[in-house]
Amino acid sequence: MFSRWNWVACGFYLVLNICSPDASGGLVQSCGHIIPESPVLALGSNFTALCILNESCLDFGNIYASQIIWKIKNRVVPKEQYREINRTVSSVTFNDTSSLATPLTCNILADGQIEQNIYGITVTVGLAPEKPTNLSCIVHQISKFTYVMTCTWNPGRHTFLDTEFRLRYSWPEEVFPDCIPKGVNNSCTVTDIQFFVNTEIWVEAANALGKAESDPLVVDPIDIVKPLSPQNVSVSSGILPTVLKLSWENWISDAVMTLKFNIRYRITGDTNWMEVPPEDTASPRTSFSVQELRPYTEYAFSIRCMKEDGLGYWSDWSEEKTGITTEDQPSKGPPIWRIIAASQSPASWTVHLMWKALKPFEANGVILQYEVTVRDKSSPSCPLKKYNVTSTNHTLQLPKGTYEVTLIARNSVGASPPSVLLIPESNSKAPVKNLRTLPKHDKLWVGWTAPNSYVLKYVVEWCLVSSSSDCVMEWQITQGDVQGIDLKGIKPFKCYLITVYPLYADGQGSGESVKAYLKQDRPSKGPTVQTKKVGKAEAVLTWNHLTVEEQNGFIRNYTILYKTIDGNETVVTVDPSKTEYTLSSLTSDTLYTVRMMASTDNGSRTGPDFTFTTQKFGKGEIEAIVVPVCLAFLLIVLLGVLFCFNKRDLIKKHIWPIVPDPSKSNIAQWSPQAPAKHNFNSKNQMYPEGSFTDVSVVEIEADDKKSFSEQDLKPFDLLKKEKSTSEGHSSGIGGSSCMSSPRQSVSDSDEGETTQNTSSTVQYSTVVLNGYRDQTPVQVFSRSESTQPLLDSEERSEDHAGGADSAAQRQQYFRQNGGQDENNVDRPCFERAKQITHANEGDLVGFAQLQVSGQSSQPLGLGMAKNTQEAALSDILQTCTEGQTVRPETVEENPLSADDMPKSYLPQTVRQGGYMPQ
Amino acid sequence: MAAADSPSAALRRRDLCSRGIRLAGKMRADVVDLLDTYVEQQGLDASATVAAVEGVPLAAVERWDEQTGTQRLLENLAAYRAFRALLAQMLEEQREQLGEADAGLGRALAAVLLQVSAFAYHLEELLRLESRGIPGEEGDGPPPPPRLSLFEQKLRGLGVLRELAQWAVRSARDLRQLAKPSAATGTAPGLAESP
Repeated sequence: MFSRWNWVACGFYLVLNICSPDASGGLVQSCGHIIPESPVLALGSNFTALCILNESCLDFGNIYASQIIWKIKNRVVPKEQYREINRTVSSVTFNDTSSLATPLTCNILADGQIEQNIYGITVTVGLAPEKPTNLSCIVHQISKFTYVMTCTWNPGRHTFLDTEFRLRYSWPEEVFPDCIPKGVNNSCTVTDIQFFVNTEIWVEAANALGKAESDPLVVDPIDIVKPLSPQNVSVSSGILPTVLKLSWENWISDAVMTLKFNIRYRITGDTNWMEVPPEDTASPRTSFSVQELRPYTEYAFSIRCMKEDGLGYWSDWSEEKTGITTEDQPSKGPPIWRIIAASQSPASWTVHLMWKALKPFEANGVILQYEVTVRDKSSPSCPLKKYNVTSTNHTLQLPKGTYEVTLIARNSVGASPPSVLLIPESNSKAPVKNLRTLPKHDKLWVGWTAPNSYVLKYVVEWCLVSSSSDCVMEWQITQGDVQGIDLKGIKPFKCYLITVYPLYADGQGSGESVKAYLKQDRPSKGPTVQTKKVGKAEAVLTWNHLTVEEQNGFIRNYTILYKTIDGNETVVTVDPSKTEYTLSSLTSDTLYTVRMMASTDNGSRTGPDFTFTTQKFGKGEIEAIVVPVCLAFLLIVLLGVLFCFNKRDLIKKHIWPIVPDPSKSNIAQWSPQAPAKHNFNSKNQMYPEGSFTDVSVVEIEADDKKSFSEQDLKPFDLLKKEKSTSEGHSSGIGGSSCMSSPRQSVSDSDEGETTQNTSSTVQYSTVVLNGYRDQTPVQVFSRSESTQPLLDSEERSEDHAGGADSAAQRQQYFRQNGGQDENNVDRPCFERAKQITHANEGDLVGFAQLQVSGQSSQPLGLGMAKNTQEAALSDILQTCTEGQTVRPETVEENPLSADDMPKSYLPQTVRQGGYMPQ
Repeated sequence: MAAADSPSAALRRRDLCSRGIRLAGKMRADVVDLLDTYVEQQGLDASATVAAVEGVPLAAVERWDEQTGTQRLLENLAAYRAFRALLAQMLEEQREQLGEADAGLGRALAAVLLQVSAFAYHLEELLRLESRGIPGEEGDGPPPPPRLSLFEQKLRGLGVLRELAQWAVRSARDLRQLAKPSAATGTAPGLAESP
């Protein structure tokens, strides 16, 4: 308990000891201190510090050196580095000061727990300065009398300490003030420089850890001067056009320093300097004449100087001054060339003369005019023609021939040597050989092999090939001993057409041309391909050539790439001259994707995809299938028709059963006049005699014709129609016969009315009006026992529609009948007949009678009946050709008399309005 | 003259002579420029005639061409030591009169003073090469000049600069004489030449 209170009291005492101000206003004496106080240590060295406790603290605070704890910043130093020297002194040792940091504190662990700081020091670690090296000095001339000397040196490694550098210099008997650099540690400038005395110069570097001096530099400052460049430089032209005189002033008097000079000059705008030989300007001077300059050329001059003996430094180059040499006469004639264009007259030329303006160094002044002289060599007697031109071209209209054109350029001093161009009537001389090009950086080299003959000059023409504009020609003339030139201003990726003409002394060679690129690139776009024709296994692709602007180089080939949706891509290379290609071995009915690639030497570019589908059938395949099928079908039909025709009787027998015809029934043969001639076997077989059980016979008196009312005659009329309809056909019944036709059915429509009235209630009767062929007509009315409908039921609906108006029906009937005969009757004839019909419409009764009496005997072949009537009707139908069908209506012109008509029997019920079923 | 026999001594001598000649030329040019500035600054008449100033050695000498090299060096050394003291006094008086108001004139005086010192050093080196003892400076030098009025100080300064310019010319010629091979013997040159 005592001990604890003791420690508390000790701690309180320590705090009071440290913090209580003494009488002087500072802190009271602390309980200890560290030796050394704030040391500066060399980096890497070892260091030992002592913490010494005050005796007073020992007595009162009961603290000892063994309780001392050393700390760097807040880090406790390992106790292995401590050493208790005695009970008031503790030391700490660091083998390497690089591990040190600030502050280093000495602390006491009071009462074993409370840590109290006794003292602390700041430790500075650094390096001693190194010896400055590479000391060098230069004396700059500031003004005419002012010089400053700037010395620089290498200060050495960083010391981590405040290091002072001093530049010191002295004469043997004179010590000058030190030069202390400001803001830097590697240079200093001395202002009071005296020449002609060797001065010793050195650098001192010093810090807390040491001092170092550089090696001394002994130099006379006059030997390290960099003078100011000459001032007031002026340039004046002299009498000679190739000389300019420079004058200047020097900043330094000869008493101080004699100078030598460098003079450089260049043409204004040029970047390359030329220099006057140094030995020409190695002596002091204030002027110099520069020679061998170009006339009428602006030059820029610049001068610099240095000490004559070469010690020291060159001054900066002076400000540029320019001067222009005077004019001289042009040194050469302008290069001249021509373009010959066809004139309106075939015997003359339009000659465009053109020449290049002389370059400045050739013109030697301002060209005032050109003098063009044209001499006709083919007629030497012709006078010379002279033209004064101020431009660089001239156009002449000349008769075809050989001309010599001379061109002279003239300036204010004189005229140039003449340039001569021979324009022969034809370029009949040998051309150059082996014309070729080769890109060289940004120039295009054109080379050729000279012809065997001596060539004076070559003319190289070139122009940019364009698809949208004309070729704007440029040209250049070279000497005859040159076999290649570099074309400048050539753009990359552009196609140039280059032509070389050799010029001979007595003529001109024809031009050789070549196309070239300075630099090629891949095409800017790919060809657009499309199909021209697509087949089953092939497709014809077409495309357009890329324009020359799109090519960017020589198209070496086209590549066609095509594939199906899921197939591999097939590649085909095509010659670049082609615009069409046929893809073969394609799969039918397949979608293909095709694209096309154009390739130059430097790459390729693919065009857009194009898709097409091959056809399912090849060319002619459909025809090959359809035509044989059709032919076969036609053959079958034909064979069927022939078969039917040959077997018509049999077919008729089996397919077209004979409708019992009352008129052909055997019962009708009781007519006394023609029983023996009724020899229809079929009918005979079908209706054998004796099968008729009941026959009603009505005798009609010819004279009583008028006594019949129209109503009574209607049935006859209908019968007549039936006969008429049957005309040219085997029968109007059925319609399914091989020879039947739809018209037939239509024409049978009138019959339906009758059928409607009688089919279900009246047994058929056949009225035999005429004989068969040459047989005597037998007028027989037969009554059939059959109850089978006479007309096909399918025609009834039409019958109903068509039976509304009897008059109209008749007209329609005739029309139909006429139409039916179109194959046999010419239209005019038909028209005439129709007119006739209309005109005699009122005589239909008689006609009906005629029909009844004259045409009903041949239901199977009206043609036969027709033949029998031809003779009688021939007088009427004179306008018709022989053999034409005789129209029934014409019959009325030759009506049969009642006397001629055989007696017939009508059913008795006719007069009473119809038959009654029996 | 033993030292002059060695090649290095001959080179050293020639170098010192050459450098001294050019220094004398530079010194003359600077002094001439300084004279113009001085006359202007002090308000003096450039054409004013100044009587011989006490303590200022005269450059003109009779029978100059008969002097030996050593004699020339000794006379030059004495003269330039005197000029060094006079110029230092002028510089001090200048600072007292004008303070820092005219630093240009003071810098020019200081530069000339340095040149005079440098030239004196050259002369001493040459005398050493001649194996001749260098005369010590006489105690405090020439006796202090009597206290002069301001105008008299200006006139004396003008006289010092004019005489220094003359000495610069003479010194250059003396050194040229010394630079000649025959001059190494210390005998008087044969050619009669007057400064």
